[in-house]
Amino acid sequence: MIVSAFLKSLFRRRGRTLLALAGIAISAALLLDMTMLASGLTVSFGELLGASGYTLRVTPKGILPFDSDAAIENGDQVARRIAAVAGVRSVAPVLGAQFRMVRGDSAGEPLFTVGIDPASEFLYRLTGGRHPGPGEVIVSVPLANDAGLKPGDRVALAGDLDVSLGRARATRTYRVSGVGDFLYNYAGEHSLAMTLADVRAATGRGSDVSLFGVATAPGVDDAAVAKRIGAAVPEVSAYSTRELMAEMDKRLLYFRQLATILGSVAMVVTALLVATIITIGVRERFGEIATLRAIGVRGRRVLLAVVTEGLTLAGVGCLLGLPMGLWMAGRLDRILLGFPGIPARMTFFAWEPRRVALAMGIVIAIGAIAGCIPGLGAVRAPLGQALREEAE
Amino acid sequence: MMAAALALALAQAPPPQTAAVADARLPGVLIDRRLAEAVPLRVGDTVRVRALAGRGAPVPFVVAGVFEREADPNRISRNEMELRFHLPDLEALVPQKDRVDRFAVVLEPGANPDSAARWIEGAAFGTRAYGSAALASESSATFRVISRFHDAIGIVTILASAIFLLCVMIIRVDERRRDMAMLRLIGVSRSTVFRAVVLEAVAISLAGSAAGAAVGLVAARIVNAHYAAVYDTTLRFALVTPRIVLTAAALGLALGVGAGALAAWRVVAVPPQKLGER
Repeated sequence: MIVSAFLKSLFRRRGRTLLALAGIAISAALLLDMTMLASGLTVSFGELLGASGYTLRVTPKGILPFDSDAAIENGDQVARRIAAVAGVRSVAPVLGAQFRMVRGDSAGEPLFTVGIDPASEFLYRLTGGRHPGPGEVIVSVPLANDAGLKPGDRVALAGDLDVSLGRARATRTYRVSGVGDFLYNYAGEHSLAMTLADVRAATGRGSDVSLFGVATAPGVDDAAVAKRIGAAVPEVSAYSTRELMAEMDKRLLYFRQLATILGSVAMVVTALLVATIITIGVRERFGEIATLRAIGVRGRRVLLAVVTEGLTLAGVGCLLGLPMGLWMAGRLDRILLGFPGIPARMTFFAWEPRRVALAMGIVIAIGAIAGCIPGLGAVRAPLGQALREEAE
Repeated sequence: MMAAALALALAQAPPPQTAAVADARLPGVLIDRRLAEAVPLRVGDTVRVRALAGRGAPVPFVVAGVFEREADPNRISRNEMELRFHLPDLEALVPQKDRVDRFAVVLEPGANPDSAARWIEGAAFGTRAYGSAALASESSATFRVISRFHDAIGIVTILASAIFLLCVMIIRVDERRRDMAMLRLIGVSRSTVFRAVVLEAVAISLAGSAAGAAVGLVAARIVNAHYAAVYDTTLRFALVTPRIVLTAAALGLALGVGAGALAAWRVVAVPPQKLGER
């Protein structure tokens, strides 16, 4: 009864309660967003890396995938050595290069092109047509749309430009075998995929490979396989998804720390807001509380009622803040995906139920703690003095 | 003027030699101060360098100097250590010959950068020429995104602050409803009560803004010191300028006036006889 009487006081001061709830909801939404941002890109990156089942990346010693022009020499032989490592299920070679689409005398913008083995490919999903054979090419969806290409069309591609003569060099005509949704492309990126042999032939990089994607056998620890590959093939670096995520984390340190700072500010604002509302509410009802104590109601019950009031404010604020936070996350994500080179499939805000529950739990706990302080003050105040003050 | 960039690896063996035994005929290399401290290396030491993209054996160079890298926000996320070579020395290390990443071009006084850029693009097929402003705009895409993100977070923060301030003002005014009723009953006009409440809100918001500016200054120092240590850079990540302080104070003032006016309206709109009711 005491608890419900205290909760009813929230309805008595409707305007004030609604404002407090709005404040808590915004703070909770900000905290939720910062919680999602703190790990969002890393988690999303990890999911994207493992989306195709190729969870390891093998690169030239000491560099990250496509971080430099460096390549693994004798790629075919290295692929065989990697495939022989225990726990390796499949090895997919990739060679990166730049091609230009040639139309008449002019060559267009550079197109990022990957040479792949169609039998073990992990960079795109076919949306139409089939995987490329010799002399064939897969075009990305945006390129197909913008250039009006479809399976069966022919395109002239140049692997090099002759700056002094002012024309494309090593131009060859390829048949479009399919249209692909490239997993790691940024929004609207124009790119191509063709057979490894075709890219090597066009660029003169005889046996080079930029990186390998490696799929491990079911139940095998990726990190252990990465270590074994590093030991068996010393001229390469093997990264597990976890290691690449850690590297991503390093590069996005700024966002993680910004999220921590803003999340902490949101928590402080919530605590201040709840504490202010409850403190003043308790202060206003000092006389009522003193009277309740005078007629024998235990201090513990009064304290419980005050804490419940704080919990209710924070809990309802959280409930309101949750959809608001998700809406804000969507808007902020759209802004942040404008970063140059960020794959369109990634998200800066990952929904991780455990972390979200923790963030909301923190807000509710803050509400309870914020209610404790004025509650304790009210039940510990000398009864006679409290009654006299109220009478005055 | 030409520039080229490539990732390089320091060979593990043999170890760097001292200046006394360094071969004066060896080509020179400039070493990033952070790399010099990490290895460690001094001017006159000999290092063996191999390009990650190269196929040859490591080539010896003598450390001709140590340089401090420019504080460039574009490179802060990767924060790689750098070496600087004479162009022919670097070219000898990498597989691609007669190739540069970019040229920096100084124009004659009065020359039009745009027409020069178009002429260069026409003369050198496949190249793109940018004026300084266009280059700055192209390379600042990342920071434009970050700036938009900060703006969005700023709007949320302002909204939360406005609600907080309004809440505080309403509570403060509600607390004194009986005093307000008394004032009204002894003849103090509505407008005087209204102004008093608004002035109080303005005072609170100005005091809050001053305290916020002080906290902001301290926080900016902590943030800059932290990131300077993390990235080993002289870049400043947080800036508190007089303009920013004034903008924040003006915003605080506007919020204070708004919150005060709303809170005051709640009081002056009620007849004084009813203000004292519980």
